Amino acid sequence: MTMLPTDPRLFRLPEGDEARPHLLGSYAPESELYFWPRRQRCPVTRTAVEDVDLASEGVLYAWTFLHVPRMGKISYGDAGGYGVGQIDLAEGVRIQAPLLGTTDDWQIGSKMGLTTFPVGEDDDGNEMVTFRFEAIS
Amino acid sequence: MPTKLNRDVYVVGVGMHRFNNETLDPGVMADVAGMAALADAGIDFTDVGALYNGYLGGGMASGVRFAKEFGLTGIPVTHVENASATGSCAFGEAVHAVAGGRVESAMALGFDDMNQLGGIGRSRSKGMGAEDVMLPAAFFAMWATRRMHDAGTTMETFAKIAAKNWNHARTNPFAQRRADHEVTPDEILAATMISYPHTSMMACASGGGASAAIVATKEVAERIGGGRPMIRVSASQQRSETYTDGHVFLGAVIGPAQMTRDTAADAYEQAGLGPADVDLVQVHDAFPVEELVYYELLGICGEGEGDGLVADGETTIGGRIPFSTDGGLTARGHPGGPTGLAQIHETTMQLRHEAGDRQVEGAQTGLCHMAGAGSVCVVHILQRS
Repeated sequence: MTMLPTDPRLFRLPEGDEARPHLLGSYAPESELYFWPRRQRCPVTRTAVEDVDLASEGVLYAWTFLHVPRMGKISYGDAGGYGVGQIDLAEGVRIQAPLLGTTDDWQIGSKMGLTTFPVGEDDDGNEMVTFRFEAIS
Repeated sequence: MPTKLNRDVYVVGVGMHRFNNETLDPGVMADVAGMAALADAGIDFTDVGALYNGYLGGGMASGVRFAKEFGLTGIPVTHVENASATGSCAFGEAVHAVAGGRVESAMALGFDDMNQLGGIGRSRSKGMGAEDVMLPAAFFAMWATRRMHDAGTTMETFAKIAAKNWNHARTNPFAQRRADHEVTPDEILAATMISYPHTSMMACASGGGASAAIVATKEVAERIGGGRPMIRVSASQQRSETYTDGHVFLGAVIGPAQMTRDTAADAYEQAGLGPADVDLVQVHDAFPVEELVYYELLGICGEGEGDGLVADGETTIGGRIPFSTDGGLTARGHPGGPTGLAQIHETTMQLRHEAGDRQVEGAQTGLCHMAGAGSVCVVHILQRS
């Protein structure tokens, strides 16, 4: 079964010996700022940006645990909910994303890593994956 | 730099249909609110120069369709949509249409039923991106957990804010949540946890409703006013986001704190006053962490001092600076399009000294704040003159 990203504009799967996927961002040389998702131009200086892969690890800035039903296609199963966090990457980019694990795993300041999460198959039998962050040591 | 009003604008009529969770016809609710505003102003729809309809759902051109019930007068009818700030932006457009000389009077009308609004939080595409699985409750909850981390704010503080707003709504006939008893912080904390640290009784009431406001020139206001207090729009400001550290581009619901600081500063400058001159405030209190932080961002108190205001009861009616006097989004409700106009309704009634049991004594100046989609901030200041 081939694994495919649900939105190839936002992230890419690990390549070669990479352990983790990467979010797809932009870097603006003039302002020295990074952005996610990719931008047409720097929103501060309006100058050109370059495509970059962002770091796959970051630090947890804030988190919560949602007990309300998810309204998308993904069921939260037996966990009674799911975690959501804001993760600051080394480039200065803040990402909002669902978390893997339980509330015991997350503390503000925790080191987090990007990982894939299966969400189903497409019509051709490919495994569709989205991304999550998980606590790492 | 604040935008300017080239001539004075006054609120001459306000009207509402009760906010509710009963899946009523938005067209009927819009009609009730609009006709109530016309009756309050003592004018006919033929006297209205332009209509700005604010709504999120309802289908394409619902506003144009509903406007026909008021009469086919040929005036320009425009749809305004800016997420939670929709009604506030419709009001702002009406104010600027009058101030700019386009018309002598204009109506802003907000209506919605969030129960009939499809697509919120649902997977919109085959690709299930990050936004598809994160609900607004998550963003406000993360704001709250970070606040708890940075400032030592407790869940009890959030519960006190929510209880205050539930109790403010008890005497508001237009509120969606009207408790039959004094709501306590313990009751708020004991409610179902929806997204730590927020319980269901801390979450805004999302349902249906409608609100309307009519604004006009000083000449029109004096002619139709009948001697009652004149309510002047002394500031009408709207901003979008500027870049700040930790900027969130995808899935932002809240927006940078600086956006509210900047919009409020513009409004204070335009009105020629400061936070100490404000007698009551309405804010986008979808969850209590918002109201808490807005105490500080609007300059009502210093950074990190909001918790103290709550502990001392200063934002309750009877306190130094009452917030969300009609129950706010928490209890009056947040149907979407009408919410910002409900703030104008409440503030106008307060400044006329017609707010009944929840009257803020001697109210002269009221501030209304709304945010939307993480990139819209609107502040209006109304003054009794």
